[in-house]
Amino acid sequence: MTGLLYKDILVMRATFIIQAVIMPFYIVLAYFDILNFVFIITYFNTMLMVMPLSAFALDGQAKWDRYAMSLPMGRRAVVRARYLFILILALSNFALGLSGSAALWGFQGEDILKALGLLMASSTLGLLVSGVLLPISYQSGAERARIALYAILLIPFFAILLLYTSGILDLSVLNSLDSLSAAALVGRGALLLLGGLAAMLASYLVSCRIAAAKEY
Amino acid sequence: MTNCIEIKGLCKSYGDFSLQNIDLSLPGGSILGMIGENGAGKTTTIKCILNLIHRDAGEITLLGHDNIREERLAKQDVGIVLDECFFHDTLRPRDVGKILAPAYHNWDQKLFRDYLDKFHLPEKKLIKEFSRGMKMKLSLSAALAHRPKLLILDEATAGLDPVVRDEILDEFLGFIQDEDHAILMSSHITSDLEKVADYIAYIHQGRVVLSDTKDNILDSYGRVGCTAAQLETIDPRDVLRTRRGSFGCEALVKDRTAFSRKYPMLLVERTTLEDIMLFVGKGETQ
Repeated sequence: MTGLLYKDILVMRATFIIQAVIMPFYIVLAYFDILNFVFIITYFNTMLMVMPLSAFALDGQAKWDRYAMSLPMGRRAVVRARYLFILILALSNFALGLSGSAALWGFQGEDILKALGLLMASSTLGLLVSGVLLPISYQSGAERARIALYAILLIPFFAILLLYTSGILDLSVLNSLDSLSAAALVGRGALLLLGGLAAMLASYLVSCRIAAAKEY
Repeated sequence: MTNCIEIKGLCKSYGDFSLQNIDLSLPGGSILGMIGENGAGKTTTIKCILNLIHRDAGEITLLGHDNIREERLAKQDVGIVLDECFFHDTLRPRDVGKILAPAYHNWDQKLFRDYLDKFHLPEKKLIKEFSRGMKMKLSLSAALAHRPKLLILDEATAGLDPVVRDEILDEFLGFIQDEDHAILMSSHITSDLEKVADYIAYIHQGRVVLSDTKDNILDSYGRVGCTAAQLETIDPRDVLRTRRGSFGCEALVKDRTAFSRKYPMLLVERTTLEDIMLFVGKGETQ
């Protein structure tokens, strides 16, 4: 399984290098208040959502799955390696976000707990979207999962917009978040993150079932 | 002695195509060549052996282990080269070694490097810059580096030039010098199988229509060239298949010697695996 994990890292290294080049620019822009730090955190978590699709698309190009399933590891281990890869990416994103928050707190006196709360919420979204896309990728491949990604992001957005503009949805409830203390915000963020991890576990079990039934 | 591969009553249906009651066995120290037309069921059989698809019925053991219940154990001693190179273009041969090493208990990194050297594959070159021959040699190096006892090859020599094919076939012959080793090899290139195979299994429309030692097949089967009038004089029970063309007729006979004795006026030639494939694929029964 570690070999498969290593393979994912190697295959995605070009993407990592691009992100590593972009990141210092974003940090500088955030330091000069040109870019909002929340935007940067959201950007990297959006990248996290896209990573499973890229990994599956590259595997699809090489027809890697057939080979991986013929190795003496079992299908579950192949699926587990992909989930571990995504979790490692999520953890790295989180660590980067945390370091950035700490840096902004040090330089600009930003509220680190508030940034942490936002980081947790954004990471949860990244995990949830990955959790939905991974089983779809196992079932139908990266291309269909890409369509699902648009659906996952756009349908709720337009649904909320429609409900809000037609007066059915009251978004003023979000203003109450401002009145929450930073500690309460972090607490709720942590709960969200736990929910995201639980969703990933459920997603992993579904993907294992799909991989077990699939013919390669 | 346990057969390296034992397949009994293998069935797999896709609706418009089905494998029907495939029985095959591969003894140690030998090469079994699987021939058949495109879509005959060779790859489906190999996929069933590797548990890549779910069989409908039958039993498969690899090196004495059930291929489903003891899949991981069974595959530890199996090397696989499929019809394509499955390594990503952005990887390098040295990456392949690091990726596969944790999967096999007996992975030998030095042996893998030795194979890369032997096949003149640069360790640090991107796979996308490799020719098809180089990619297949890389796949073969990866398949051999954990010292497998059984090699499963699906069209591994397809699309390669004769020099590379010969080099790879030599490697196979070296591999089976050990009595514990065996190779299952599916190929369209029947001349390759005539060079190296000990046993031949011909799969036609999902069934094994011929399974015997290569020597038995090539020594006993024969091809009769005759006119349409001469063909009419032959007892239909003495020929397996016939082909009629504008320049005459041909018939496939199972026992060349017996046929020559019975029909001394007709010339019976040795046959090749390709002839047999053409007779079964395009010929007709008398």
